[in-house]
Amino acid sequence: MQIRVKCNCGEGECREWAIIEVQGVVESQPSIEEHLHDHEIGRLCCISEGNYTFTIGYHELSGTKMHLKRPLLVLRKKKVETVGDSNSSVELHVVGIIRHRILFKTRPKALISKPQIKDKKPVSSDLTPQSPADSYNSDDAMSYLISSRSYNSGCSSRTLPQSAPPLLLLRQTLALQPQNLPVPTA
Amino acid sequence: MEAEMEVGMEGELWEGRAEAVLGLNLCSSVPICYHSQFGPHEDLLLLEVDDNLLPEILQNRVTIRGQPDEDAVLCTLSSTYSMKFVGTSNSVFLIPPGDSSANGEKRSSVAASIITVATGNIELILAAPKLDKLKKLLKETPYNPDEDFDSISTHKKGLFRWQDLVEMIQASEEEIRAALKSLSAVEIDGYWRIVDDKTMNKTLTMILRNSLLHDWLISALDEETVLSTMVADGFSPRIVAHCLETHGTKVRDSKGTLWELGEKQVCLRLALDILASGKMKLKSFLERWEQSVPSGMKADLKMLQGEVLCDKIGVEEWIRVFSVSALPSTPADRFSALFQERLKWEWKDLEPYIRDIHVPGLSSEGLLMKYTRRIQPNAEAEPIFSAR
Repeated sequence: MQIRVKCNCGEGECREWAIIEVQGVVESQPSIEEHLHDHEIGRLCCISEGNYTFTIGYHELSGTKMHLKRPLLVLRKKKVETVGDSNSSVELHVVGIIRHRILFKTRPKALISKPQIKDKKPVSSDLTPQSPADSYNSDDAMSYLISSRSYNSGCSSRTLPQSAPPLLLLRQTLALQPQNLPVPTA
Repeated sequence: MEAEMEVGMEGELWEGRAEAVLGLNLCSSVPICYHSQFGPHEDLLLLEVDDNLLPEILQNRVTIRGQPDEDAVLCTLSSTYSMKFVGTSNSVFLIPPGDSSANGEKRSSVAASIITVATGNIELILAAPKLDKLKKLLKETPYNPDEDFDSISTHKKGLFRWQDLVEMIQASEEEIRAALKSLSAVEIDGYWRIVDDKTMNKTLTMILRNSLLHDWLISALDEETVLSTMVADGFSPRIVAHCLETHGTKVRDSKGTLWELGEKQVCLRLALDILASGKMKLKSFLERWEQSVPSGMKADLKMLQGEVLCDKIGVEEWIRVFSVSALPSTPADRFSALFQERLKWEWKDLEPYIRDIHVPGLSSEGLLMKYTRRIQPNAEAEPIFSAR
């Protein structure tokens, strides 16, 4: 069985995709689970050459743009029906190339400005870092800390406390073992 | 054509404005959203490529081969790579390019969108081609002139065209062709066949006999003359041509095509013919062998390295066929077969049976260290190798 790898872009013209990589998982409030589409995750800002911040909820991450020593090709599996033949075959089409990634691997900095009750709108993307002591409800701080702590210990509870922002960044440190890839079937 | 259009269009439809992220200016920011079509998109894969592989893929010279129950390999025209999925616990947000918004719109207010979160990517590791299957397939139905081709071809059992081999063998085309050459396979009526030993032995001995009879020079055999004589003797021209190719080198000259028979190939074939009926006492074998070799050629045991083994049984030395081509090609299986044959090997006997193993990144010393135990009582003694 052969799976052809096809590229319709001429050499050097492959459309470039972008990667933003964070250590952890972005979890969302149950109320917006169903309506993720078009929902804002956060804001990416370029603060100096190659350096960025990414604000998710009230976490601010710092990261850098890195050039990939080995580029990544974005491939898409396509099932192709051959005309006049009942057999269908699988093809992989190159739909893009990735040469850089913006990697955020610092501990998130908490930007606590005001407690947020509304759960459909994202936290304001005000980027000036606030010192954590600035006016926040102590209950909110506790629930936020409790929920963070439980996430950090590795359990993945899907229910965020009401007062938590709609999207929260959780850090995980799982090491996954490389595995042999079975032949991709359609 | 339609399939191509679909991919292009869908890629376009996933406008994620990667450009806004890649070209983000100093002190600017861009909101990052979930795309309206955000989802697992399990049909998307990330493949890590290095710079010399990239043009091969972009110019459509790469294909993935394997049966559903095998591990996938990626093949260029000349190399084979195994494919390994490496997962990550990071969240890798993928943002596709594309932006059809009007130029007048303020760029920073337009968000970049994530189409999916990648779980990892595929890495490619240069690998040895998997050619044992080729040997096995072709040995299913070796060619002999008396075969009933019609019945075989109607059942299509054991018959393989080039296209069939490329579909079934996990190796690049160049590597398959090289393997076919080393197996002395020949394309007959569009099918790749291995000619059985009996037929090859018979054909070569007849060519040599005819050379004596008709005073032909075996260093300059005239192709046309050989073919017409052999055909008259009832041999198939395709097989005669294949025999010349396997045992000689072509020399073109003004009179036509000439073949120079190679000493090593001829002596080897004659030796295998003599040993076809089983092991022999070394002394008797050497006598018979020297007699059978045409004048102008000298038989030497060194020519039989990797094809025969000598064992001391009692006071006598015996010789028998043990061909490297009958052994598996993967290192672990090869060593296992060798140690099943003999528990302990001296380096001079072992070397011919492992010299054809090529593992990318592993030297022959590395190979020995990995698969054998080396015993050397002192610096002057010959090292002995046994199984790990």
